[in-house]
Amino acid sequence: MRMPPFTLHTPGSLDEALSLAGDLQKSGQEFDWVAGGTDLLPNYKWHLNSKPHVISLAGVPELTELSEVHIGAMVRLQDLADSNVVHPLLAKASSMVASVMIRRSGTVGGNICLDTRCFWFNQSEEWRESIEWCYKCDCGTGADCRVIPNQNTQCVATYQADLAPVLMCLGATIHLAGPKGNRSMPLTEFFELDGITRNVLSAGELVTHLTLPGDISDWKGDYQKLRQRESWDFPEAGVAVLWKRGPDGSPSDLRVATTGLEAIPGFHSSEADGVLTSWSGESSIDELAEAVRKAVRPVLNTWYPPSYRRKMVKVLTKRASSGMLEV
Amino acid sequence: MSEDKDKVEGYRQQSGKLPFPRPGSGGSRGTSDLRDEEAIAGIKGLGEHKHDDLVTGSAVGKPTALVDGRWKVTGQAQYGDDVRLPGELIGRIVRSKHHYARVLSIDVSAALELPGVVAVATGRDASGSFGVLPVTKDEHAMAQEKVRHVGDPVACVAAIDESTAREAVRLIEVEYEELEALHDMRGGLEDSDEPIHDRGQYHIGSSNVQKRVFQEFGDIKGMADNAVASHSSSWKFAGANHGFTEPHAVVANWDPSGRLTLYTPQQVPHYVHRALADVLDVPMHQINVHRTFVGGGFGGKSDPFPHEMCAAILSRKTGRPVRINFDREEVFWVNRGRHPSRIDMNLHADSEGRLCGIETDALIDGGAFASFGHVTTYYNGVLHTAPYEIGAFHYTGARVWTNKPASGAMRGHGAVNSRCAFEVGMDGIAEQLRVDPITLRLANLLPPHSATITGFRVTSIGMRECLERVREASGWDEKFRKLPYGHGIGVGCGFFISGSGLPIHWEPNKFPHATVHLKVDMDGGVTVHTGAAEIGQGSDTVVAQSVAEVLGLPLDMIRIRSRETDTAPVDLGSYSSRVTFMNANAAISAAMEIRQELLDAAAEMTEAPNDRLVIGDRRIYMRDDPKIGVSYLEALHKAQEDKGALVSSGAYRTPPMGRVHKGAGAGIAPAYSFSAYVAEVKVDVETGQTKVLKVWAAHDCGKALNPLSVKGQIIGSCHMGLGQVLSEEMKYGRNGHLINPDLLDYKIPTIHEMPEVVPIIVESNDSEGPFGAKEAGEGPLLPILPAVCNAVYDAIGIRTSELPITPDRVHRMIEDRCKKEEMDPLDLDSPVLRHSELQATLEARASEHAERDFLRASDPDLPDYNNGALFGFNPEIPADEQDERWVVSVTPDSDYMESPRLAGSAWKHAERRHGGGS
Repeated sequence: MRMPPFTLHTPGSLDEALSLAGDLQKSGQEFDWVAGGTDLLPNYKWHLNSKPHVISLAGVPELTELSEVHIGAMVRLQDLADSNVVHPLLAKASSMVASVMIRRSGTVGGNICLDTRCFWFNQSEEWRESIEWCYKCDCGTGADCRVIPNQNTQCVATYQADLAPVLMCLGATIHLAGPKGNRSMPLTEFFELDGITRNVLSAGELVTHLTLPGDISDWKGDYQKLRQRESWDFPEAGVAVLWKRGPDGSPSDLRVATTGLEAIPGFHSSEADGVLTSWSGESSIDELAEAVRKAVRPVLNTWYPPSYRRKMVKVLTKRASSGMLEV
Repeated sequence: MSEDKDKVEGYRQQSGKLPFPRPGSGGSRGTSDLRDEEAIAGIKGLGEHKHDDLVTGSAVGKPTALVDGRWKVTGQAQYGDDVRLPGELIGRIVRSKHHYARVLSIDVSAALELPGVVAVATGRDASGSFGVLPVTKDEHAMAQEKVRHVGDPVACVAAIDESTAREAVRLIEVEYEELEALHDMRGGLEDSDEPIHDRGQYHIGSSNVQKRVFQEFGDIKGMADNAVASHSSSWKFAGANHGFTEPHAVVANWDPSGRLTLYTPQQVPHYVHRALADVLDVPMHQINVHRTFVGGGFGGKSDPFPHEMCAAILSRKTGRPVRINFDREEVFWVNRGRHPSRIDMNLHADSEGRLCGIETDALIDGGAFASFGHVTTYYNGVLHTAPYEIGAFHYTGARVWTNKPASGAMRGHGAVNSRCAFEVGMDGIAEQLRVDPITLRLANLLPPHSATITGFRVTSIGMRECLERVREASGWDEKFRKLPYGHGIGVGCGFFISGSGLPIHWEPNKFPHATVHLKVDMDGGVTVHTGAAEIGQGSDTVVAQSVAEVLGLPLDMIRIRSRETDTAPVDLGSYSSRVTFMNANAAISAAMEIRQELLDAAAEMTEAPNDRLVIGDRRIYMRDDPKIGVSYLEALHKAQEDKGALVSSGAYRTPPMGRVHKGAGAGIAPAYSFSAYVAEVKVDVETGQTKVLKVWAAHDCGKALNPLSVKGQIIGSCHMGLGQVLSEEMKYGRNGHLINPDLLDYKIPTIHEMPEVVPIIVESNDSEGPFGAKEAGEGPLLPILPAVCNAVYDAIGIRTSELPITPDRVHRMIEDRCKKEEMDPLDLDSPVLRHSELQATLEARASEHAERDFLRASDPDLPDYNNGALFGFNPEIPADEQDERWVVSVTPDSDYMESPRLAGSAWKHAERRHGGGS
């Protein structure tokens, strides 16, 4: 496997990075940001939508800050996993990403912006040529989707990153910077559309950091991940359930988010609110689990069949919720 | 040391000139270490062995780090892709993007115009066919007329670097006419307009059946009538890949003297040697196959491969060395992994708990080429005719071509899947008879020195001890059917050949299986020339140990030269678990020659009678008076006086074995290994996830020449087998595409999935094995699959018949059971066992047999024992010669063909030479 040739840029500050991006944009040249490189570079080796320029963020010092309420995009996943200042559930979810070697290189920003994955896409160039390409990487052929043929309006490649659901439930705000300036939004609004668009980042924009609200220590919960092997594998399904307790000990606030099931992570506010209004303990958890199962629509493009993943969403939701019954 | 120097005696040399007697060289010590009594088989009470007299206590039986280990851990070992020759070019292969197509034209002009491209080759450059088995040479260096699977080689390029070579591959235009591809192995049984291969007059109808086998032995008609318990199952096994660390790589150099050297990580250099000569049309003596370090083989590097031919063709064209290194994806295109299989199996037991019949029907998916398939088709049947005594054996097997990467030999070749089905069936029979499954097995074992129903000559059998020891070590009696729901324990056994008895290319009595040459010069070090391929399994070490043991030398005085066919005597290579048995036997006989010369010289020097001299640590001395003796070097130099370096040659040939029916040679081996494993598992009933907690693994390897290595093989086999039972699967998506040709999605278990394995070495001291040894490389894989499946049943009452047991599959079965029983998964029960009266009968029989086996193992002059004695026949005569109901048949009759089973239906076609097909 060899990567296609590209020019590597190594800016030393955020400003320099953004001005580089602006310049490339102005001259009509496409580029990718590279953070830890654990996702982008294998994709380059497979010639998946590679670009002639790559801007490395490794030398940008502004992106590495880590505190309870501020997580820089360039914080390494293993540092997040080992951290005792961040919310413990965030550390737990981070520790479940891939393997320790990948976590030492991979970053929070990279994990949030992880490219979507699909059996028909994450393959070598020769392999994809043998299926006459696919919608996500059509190499100029206008190829159809191979998962659900006869529809090429939406890419159904799956978002398989572990951090997003926990961060969404913690109420994270994501901060972006770009040649046109900075902007922020709730993480739940960051993800958008399908397996190709993936999120709101426009050309030249990047994620700088995430901030968390001051009340995160009041939130308890769990993240459950389905995978074949306990290391390395991407989530075939992931469910985060977080809650706050009211004075009587029953949950006063409840958030549920999922990953590994669709082209973007799911934030299931109506399902959570639905059971919270008529909370009755264990049966409410069953109800919630069933509602989340119904809310997700996995397709056949990862290791496990979609019917199984969907059923497991119910089990994972129940397990992630079980702490709510503990007094 | 200076004191020692003065004492040098026994050979004429100018003092001070050649200080041989340095520490470590065995120069002139007054006394020798005594023999290590622990290491001597005879003394351990294992009975007399022909090699007992050769034991010197130096090497055999001691846990020994592999002699090439340091090369690997220091990074100095050169694997296939580490070979760098001056002026090398990089080769890449153009591969088919269609499953099945006719190649209409290949336009290489654009590639040749690309700067940096030196040569392009296509099928026209080499039309000779090859294949690992002489009867099925159906491969070519590159496509001749058709491509048969995605990834099939079409052309190749040589360029100055990898990027240029890859770019050149993109520029080669191939025009195809697509043909209708065959993906479902069942379709291979039917007639086709365009069979994937044409075998001429031997073609079976117009089908894609590559090989078919029919075998009936014993009381076939009576088995169902005699049965009080029958277990039927219908298995589906996914294809598995070896998953070795090092992808295939090769360097070919047509050197200035006009000879070809091929550097390749090969398990079987001799077959590549032959195939190269065929394909390149040059005599074998013009070719030197240089086996590099091999980064794992497991059967996946034992065929001659198209890329090896391509590198040689490109090197011949360019006059420069050409290196080809695979991406992991290409490893999956070459494959030769475990066959995807559909196996139907019925087991029958009679009222006395005897196995009155086995019926097996195995359809195996060979993919696009024959590879070892001829043998695999037999092995799926004949390798489960032991270790149990059986009343009838009915086997129908068929291997079909499909448009997938070729299946081939993989650790446990051909035996793994049907063994799994069989051992799970045994568990089912035990359940029906309400007896303990270990007791059932113990009461049905063949004794040592017996013949199986198909006539395999079995020598040593450590099966009973294997079962008893895992039963004890695992706490079986306290756990089986007694663990809480979701937690279970299961047993499985294995039986495997210790070296295929038939050499593929010649009659067994015409040429040896293995030859070893020794050379001992003045320095005293022993150079061993052997063609046995060190593939990480420790073959260099075991040969070094064998020679060291016989000559009484430390291991560092033995130098193994096993890499090049120029210097190594012909050896069949590392497959069928033959190396320790055959090659070490050859090494021992070569060492015995040298030993005799040393003893003769020592006898002359000491004037002691030859037969009273023994060899200890670098010293030859009188058995009863160790003070009288000479050092190793003194004796050596005496022996060298008239002729210089001592050289010797030793060879190993199998004894005459087996019966004479068609196919009788398949599965014949000079010895067989046995194993029994117990696995303990937990199943998450809500997710279907199986976690293997612990494995107790007993393997009878005859004699552990290197216990460290044997334990490593047992643990490694467990890991590999666990992969196949838990998660490894070559998945074919819609359109028949292999969708996981990479190690992220081909799920090899990680350290997290690996349970603690307790290796238990059982030594049955095989009468013909080197120092009593048998194989330990493949057999240990077999029992883990059924042990896990049976443990899952014990845990949740679900009998799987599909591998791997990925959570989604187990979950589906749990759901099915819940639906049937109208229960919630958490409220289901695990099975219980209340012994029937048969349990006591079987226990009594097992202890009777234990006594019988003990006597047979220790007495070499016993009457013959043929399978069938358990059913009341005279053990000294094959049962089929005593009772006409016991049949021996290798072709189906018209009755059978009225309703053949799946693989059996392959017999509905006539061979073309008999009027079939067109």
